[in-house]
Amino acid sequence: MNALTVLNPQDQFKAPTPDELFNLPPIIPGVDWFTKPVLLALLSAVIVIGFFWAAFASPKIVPRGVQNAAEVGYMFVRDQVARPFLGKDADRWMGLLLSLFFLVFAWNIMGVIPFAQFPVASHIAFPAVLAISIYVLKVYLGVRHQGPIGYFKNMMFPPGLPKPIYILLSPIEFLSNLIIAPFTHAVRLFANMFAGHMLLAFFSMVGFWFLFEHLTPLGAPIGVIGVVMTIIFTAFEMFIQFLQAFLFAMLASMYIGGSLHAEH
Amino acid sequence: MSEQERRPEDDGQDFASAAWSIPSYLLAGMAIYGGGGWLLDRWLDTSAFFPIGIVLGIVLSVYLVYRKYGR
Amino acid sequence: MTTAATLLASEEGANPLIPHTYELVVGIFAFAVVFFVVGRMLVPRIQKTLAERTDAIEGGIKRAEEAQAEAQALQQQYRDQLAEARQDAARLREEAREQAAQIKAELREEAQAEARRLIEAAHAQIEADRQQAFTQLRAEIGRLSTDLAGRIVGEALEDEARRRRTVDRFLDELESSSAQAVR
Repeated sequence: MNALTVLNPQDQFKAPTPDELFNLPPIIPGVDWFTKPVLLALLSAVIVIGFFWAAFASPKIVPRGVQNAAEVGYMFVRDQVARPFLGKDADRWMGLLLSLFFLVFAWNIMGVIPFAQFPVASHIAFPAVLAISIYVLKVYLGVRHQGPIGYFKNMMFPPGLPKPIYILLSPIEFLSNLIIAPFTHAVRLFANMFAGHMLLAFFSMVGFWFLFEHLTPLGAPIGVIGVVMTIIFTAFEMFIQFLQAFLFAMLASMYIGGSLHAEH
Repeated sequence: MSEQERRPEDDGQDFASAAWSIPSYLLAGMAIYGGGGWLLDRWLDTSAFFPIGIVLGIVLSVYLVYRKYGR
Repeated sequence: MTTAATLLASEEGANPLIPHTYELVVGIFAFAVVFFVVGRMLVPRIQKTLAERTDAIEGGIKRAEEAQAEAQALQQQYRDQLAEARQDAARLREEAREQAAQIKAELREEAQAEARRLIEAAHAQIEADRQQAFTQLRAEIGRLSTDLAGRIVGEALEDEARRRRTVDRFLDELESSSAQAVR
């Protein structure tokens, strides 16, 4: 079963497989690394940079046009992502969090942009590399601000618990904070984008198959349902794409905040 | 920004921390105690410690989350 | 692992949880570039602008407050001046009223004194007139009485001394009786 299966003149509808959807061939034959997700990842970076360059290259006291729009984004990240977890340190980390949020958002929204139609973050490598960066930053900040011993002590021995319990709970804290958390950080984003793309692809293929490739009186209503569901799920996906970008940045902010100040 | 605004955000911070820590803690608890049980099972050639470990892990994780954020 | 992509593509169902190395590189590169340009270059600029805007707004508010305070001070000043003026006016009116009353009282007193003086003068005039009239009358009555007595008696009283004595006696009696009558 490979990418050619869909094109085979068969009378039966075939649901798209993850392999067909996510294992994309190189755009230029022979240049293995240059695939669609790589192109879109770079394109997203260019778009984000271009957008903020247009908005903030020479900002005005009285904003207009693009600056207005970008300021709304900046305010959103500052008030919803940075300040709740970083308080007065928020402004120092805004550069990181704003870049993170908008890059992930651009990567995600590529899933519903016509012709692109592939959420970059549905390839685990992209969320993983960001999550690893945040993880390294988190441990570095924790060691620097709480001391190498203090950081692990504060993490594994939260105050206010009965002493014997620590033997049972400290391993959980350790595993949760240092291994599971970065993993879920990346996987949450990846899995949402992966599943969302699968759903969208499935419904759009249903519509395409039953209305264009294999139009029959019986199949037509199913095709219409497929198209309607595609539209509904496109709207839903846009919301999920935004939400996951927000969550990814928010968790990064939470980790940074937790490393700057010991948990209470 | 100012002192009045900090309070609700602190609450939000605690809530968000709890909400996004729970799955991580549950997974960690299940992995550690489930894994320990599985190893015990293999070593002693039994099959009871794995499920016991999983349940123990969940209980401990829930207890931990409750003590950290539940008050 | 760069050949892994072609390898995986031919395989049945590549594991989506295994990251491609080149995507890791591209991902971190893309993030690094975005972070450098947006996070390091552009965010400080907008933060500076936002701070300036806050300053501008707060400065505007401060200026407005100052202007308002000034206006209020001015208003207060005017109000004070107005109150002072009113007080002055009231005081002047009061003084004027007092003066008027004083003048009136003085005039009245003067008028009364004048009236008294006139009345007294009139009294004195009347007394003088009466006295004069009485003196004239006395002489007249004496002459008339002598004439009358001479005519009645029918004889002239030769003796001047006697005649004077009689007249004087008569007049004394008359005077005492008239004094009683006047009183």
